[in-house]
Amino acid sequence: MLHRRIYQFFIIYFLGLAVLMVIKYSLSLSDYVIPSPVEVWLTSRQFFPVYFVAVLNTLSVAILGHILSIFLATTVGIIGRLTIWVGSFIRVAAYNIQAYPIVAVAPIIFILLGDGLSSRLLIAAMICYFPLLLSFIGVFSEPVAEIEHFFESTLKMTWWLQVKIRAFENISKLITVIVGSATLAMVGTIVAEFIAADAGIGYSIRIALFQSDLAKILVALFLIGVCTSLYLVLLEWIGHMIQKRWEIPKGG
Amino acid sequence: MKPQKLRKIEYLTIAMVLIAFFFSASDRAIAQENEEVAYRLKWLFNVSVVGDLWADVHGNFGDQRLEVTVKAGGPERDAIKELELGRAQFGVASADQVIRAVSKGAPIVVLAQLFQTNPLHWIYRPDKSPFKSPPDFKGKTVGITYGGNDETIMRALLAKYNIKEDELNLFSVRYDYTPFYQGKVDFWPLYINAQAPIIGAKLKKAGEQYSFVSPADFGIRFVANSVVTSREMLEKRPDTVKRFITALLQGWREALDPANKEKAIKTVLQFNKETPEAIVRQQLPVTRKLMMPTADFAFGKIDVAAWKQTEEIMLFQKLIPKSVQVENLLKPVYEK
Repeated sequence: MLHRRIYQFFIIYFLGLAVLMVIKYSLSLSDYVIPSPVEVWLTSRQFFPVYFVAVLNTLSVAILGHILSIFLATTVGIIGRLTIWVGSFIRVAAYNIQAYPIVAVAPIIFILLGDGLSSRLLIAAMICYFPLLLSFIGVFSEPVAEIEHFFESTLKMTWWLQVKIRAFENISKLITVIVGSATLAMVGTIVAEFIAADAGIGYSIRIALFQSDLAKILVALFLIGVCTSLYLVLLEWIGHMIQKRWEIPKGG
Repeated sequence: MKPQKLRKIEYLTIAMVLIAFFFSASDRAIAQENEEVAYRLKWLFNVSVVGDLWADVHGNFGDQRLEVTVKAGGPERDAIKELELGRAQFGVASADQVIRAVSKGAPIVVLAQLFQTNPLHWIYRPDKSPFKSPPDFKGKTVGITYGGNDETIMRALLAKYNIKEDELNLFSVRYDYTPFYQGKVDFWPLYINAQAPIIGAKLKKAGEQYSFVSPADFGIRFVANSVVTSREMLEKRPDTVKRFITALLQGWREALDPANKEKAIKTVLQFNKETPEAIVRQQLPVTRKLMMPTADFAFGKIDVAAWKQTEEIMLFQKLIPKSVQVENLLKPVYEK
């Protein structure tokens, strides 16, 4: 799974790079517009260690933000299933808050929390939280009638059992949403760093943009792609293990 | 159908064809008369581009038989890249952008220099952080945008006065001024013509004193915005270049003429509805002073010594690998 995802990313990245080079040489553009392969290589040799640390920094914040939003979405999703009114209210609130562009909300967050870890974490969580929340509310408020009916008729139904039944029945859907939102967590963290932070790969990209240095940005994109792929593979593996553990043994 | 009616239709058809031909011919004549070019600015429409807007609105470009599309700039827009990609024929770029681009092989030339003094200054509170000369930075917290030209300018200033980085605290700044308002940062970079009137008004309202550090006062002449074009444009269409720069410089002179103050303010407000008129009124004279140090100054003059110093600073800070022979890029068309 790991090597497949990595080589698939390599194919996409190097195809993109090849397209850029075709444009560069067919239009005779200078290295200022699109850097030459040699410049990209030299930049990668010079900045790889610095950018690698920066990407790891970003990835760690993204993972924290992702975990935070999974917990939040689970909690709110469980609360949201209580009544139709609460569920619909949370859904409307989620849609509305999600509609605000993060670049407009970010300055308020930075004024309140400063430009440290907490702001980056919050923005990362905000970006991946709402898609998670909407899916979680959908899953937890949708009754699994054929199973729940049995426990309800025997008066053995508890809220915890209801959550477990609904999660179990939709486990593959929940895992897909969690894996999908991982990339959003990474994007959210990078956006937060880009807007206002003094660490992480988003901050490095901002500096490279100020210097009109596309070679640095290409190196940063490569590392972001590799690290995101690794994180996705890890999540898919965890999901696979959970599904395997929850699988009903054959023959009953 | 009656022959008379048929004749009427014939006449009508001929008249329509003639009218259509007349309009298409006159359109072609206008198109031939006014050459179309695009001009990419460095920043959004504000007081720093008043002359560019003036030349467009008040017919300076038209007088030179040019149809100019003036495009607003912005943080992600790079005029030099647009010149190379053929999306613009003229643009505005800062000197460090130009030198960096040329060091990477971009075939561009500088036609005129807009700002004679770099508008980038540092605001401070004289009662809390007294400042007479750069050694007063020692022990203070000084804001810089890492990667921005304010970082380059501040480092040049510190190097000139032999101030080491560990003798002061450098603070990474962004658009949010809260750390300065809260007093966490003593010196904050801003553009004295565009941002200072806005920030100053807020400080004044809070009953605080403020003043500015100008790096130029301490010998750092780092060139800001200049008008650029491609080398190919200058060689193949010299007449267009000359007409463009003539119109543009005339537009700037008229916009900065104190006699045209009201019209200039109106021009800015026509394109920038978000900035209050009172602020634009304060911004205009500051901009004038940065671009026209004296009333009889030849607007657009390229300060070769300042360009050389800008290149030396960038070489010293290893922002470019080797000299680009900056004097070879400077093509002041207006002098010819």
